[in-house]
Amino acid sequence: MSTLCTVLGHPERIRALSPAGWDLLLREARSQQLCARLSHLLEQRGLLPECPPQAATELCAQRFFAEHTQARVRLCLRKLRRALAPTETPVVLLKGAAYAARGLAVARGRDFADLDILLPVDKLEAAETRLCASGWTARKTDPYDQRYYRRWMHELPPLVHTATGLELDVHHRLLPRTSRLKPPAAPLWRESVPLALSPYRTLSPRHMVLHSMAQLFHDGEVAGGLDNLLDIHQLLTELGIEEGFWPGLLEAAEGLHLERPLYYGLEMSRSLLGTAVPSDTLAEARRFRPPALTGSLMCALMRNALEPRYPRRRPAHVSAWLLYLRSHWLRMPPALLASHLTRKAVATLLAPASVQDTRGP
Amino acid sequence: MTRPGQRPRGAAFGRGHLLRYLNGPFSIQLSTPLADVARLVTWSYGAAMDDSSTDDSPAHFNVTLRHRSLPRRLLAPQVMFQAEDSRPLAPFPRDHAFALLEWGVNWCIATRAHQYLMLHAGAVERDGRALILPAMPGSGKSTLTAALIARGWRLLSDEFGLLDHQSGRLHPLPRAIPLKNRSIDVIRRFWPDADIGPVFTRTRKGDVAHLRPPAASLIRQAEPADPAWILFPQYVSGSPVQIGRQPQSQVFTRLSQNAFNYNLLGAVGFRSLSALVRDCPCWSIRYGDLDAVIAAIGRLTGTDGS
Repeated sequence: MSTLCTVLGHPERIRALSPAGWDLLLREARSQQLCARLSHLLEQRGLLPECPPQAATELCAQRFFAEHTQARVRLCLRKLRRALAPTETPVVLLKGAAYAARGLAVARGRDFADLDILLPVDKLEAAETRLCASGWTARKTDPYDQRYYRRWMHELPPLVHTATGLELDVHHRLLPRTSRLKPPAAPLWRESVPLALSPYRTLSPRHMVLHSMAQLFHDGEVAGGLDNLLDIHQLLTELGIEEGFWPGLLEAAEGLHLERPLYYGLEMSRSLLGTAVPSDTLAEARRFRPPALTGSLMCALMRNALEPRYPRRRPAHVSAWLLYLRSHWLRMPPALLASHLTRKAVATLLAPASVQDTRGP
Repeated sequence: MTRPGQRPRGAAFGRGHLLRYLNGPFSIQLSTPLADVARLVTWSYGAAMDDSSTDDSPAHFNVTLRHRSLPRRLLAPQVMFQAEDSRPLAPFPRDHAFALLEWGVNWCIATRAHQYLMLHAGAVERDGRALILPAMPGSGKSTLTAALIARGWRLLSDEFGLLDHQSGRLHPLPRAIPLKNRSIDVIRRFWPDADIGPVFTRTRKGDVAHLRPPAASLIRQAEPADPAWILFPQYVSGSPVQIGRQPQSQVFTRLSQNAFNYNLLGAVGFRSLSALVRDCPCWSIRYGDLDAVIAAIGRLTGTDGS
């Protein structure tokens, strides 16, 4: 077990760390970009004074990124409300923006690249027109990319808010239209919860968790997703204390056809971060696991790809590559996947080599 | 500082150097197979050996500098800078390895050290009071900083003004000063005893040679100073010294635009910068001659004994 996973799951274990242990913890936290979140986990348990001062300073210094992003998101949400008001559409905040708006512990120190929202599918066209008239522009202007998103994806082609530079992803469902699993949007809307003093809504707690699991274990590449697994761990830990959460989670997974991602989510979060999952919930979820051989192979690959290793070792690369293939396999039917990848490969060959960004003083 | 016989972690072959040195508030662990780089690091920062910590304790920045792949090496030798597991900078020609290392470490500091408001400025100290020289295009900040330390000021920093959010004090970061193009000869003439390293010709920023940070600065690099004066220098060939008082509002705007991390820091950065601008008198100074400008700075700051 890596030092970082051990400490994320059980922060009090820092007490037993040697100087070499601290070195490894900091290297792993830096490479996974989890310094700020680690600093908050330690602070919540009153452990910061027990860290070597140099380590505490370094971890806390990385908090500014998340605070900066969340401030930009709040500004962007104010503009968004004005832009969408004439369409009278309800808006559900997803992921980072929702965690922050709900004041969940998982939001502390959590930086994110884009703002994700969910709209009813019949409001999409009106909303897009309003957004493009109010300061948002399309990030991908290539006709193929535009068509790719509109025909096959679960979101509009990404938009950028010119004033804040923040990307806006407008979803109408949780997973791509072409995905193997097709969670319906109706239950999401039915259970969505209004936010106090805000025109926005969020998903219900159990749907929030399932969305995070579906993203990491069905739509995503898994590798490098330790931050997403930490989301799952922190959401389960904080929301799991509510009465009836766990039986409700199983029921909701069946309603959204997300039983398999739920199984992987619980299993990985429990085994890598020590999440306290009630034993009856775990036993129930294990009914959804793949056949024995596939199941153990998948779990081994995922563990390999999620756990930080420093310095990197070969098997993690191989696992990451296999899981990358799997994510595409689950995303689209084979014929469509073949034509899409061919098209992208040709485009890459024809495009001029991109110039590496060299910032710095 | 070099630990002979010790293999760098992750080095494929037996030969290599593992160096651990302190630079201002940061400890840097460098692993490299390049002997000339190890030699120049020792030349530059040798007075700041990190004896206090064992090899196992965390360094702030773990950096490596190594050759690119063998086929690439036969074609045109290049070196690659790596910080932790990322490679943020484009490769450099093999001959410019030390310059790449210095810029790489600057990149590490600028992207991670947000416990400070990082001004892009030179800074020197006398009697515990710091003079800040913000970098503006064509200001000749490095040349003037080098000239001031030749005349007895303590070098705090040539690139980063590290302002502590809580104490408001300026932390030293005495790094090798990269003199560029004509200023290499200017400093050689002005300060015949200057310890200047090899000239790296035709780098991305022109010819570069590093001025070794004075040992006295390295020995006192844990000693912060109180910001006392802000001076915007502007070099104009042949110009007499001209001094103008700068209004606070203008200074605030100029410094906020030139700091590395002002925007990221939000309210914290605003408070740090307002306190600095409120407490320090500020001038712009136009000059064409180093001796004349240093005399003027002495009079302005009351450090010339008069």
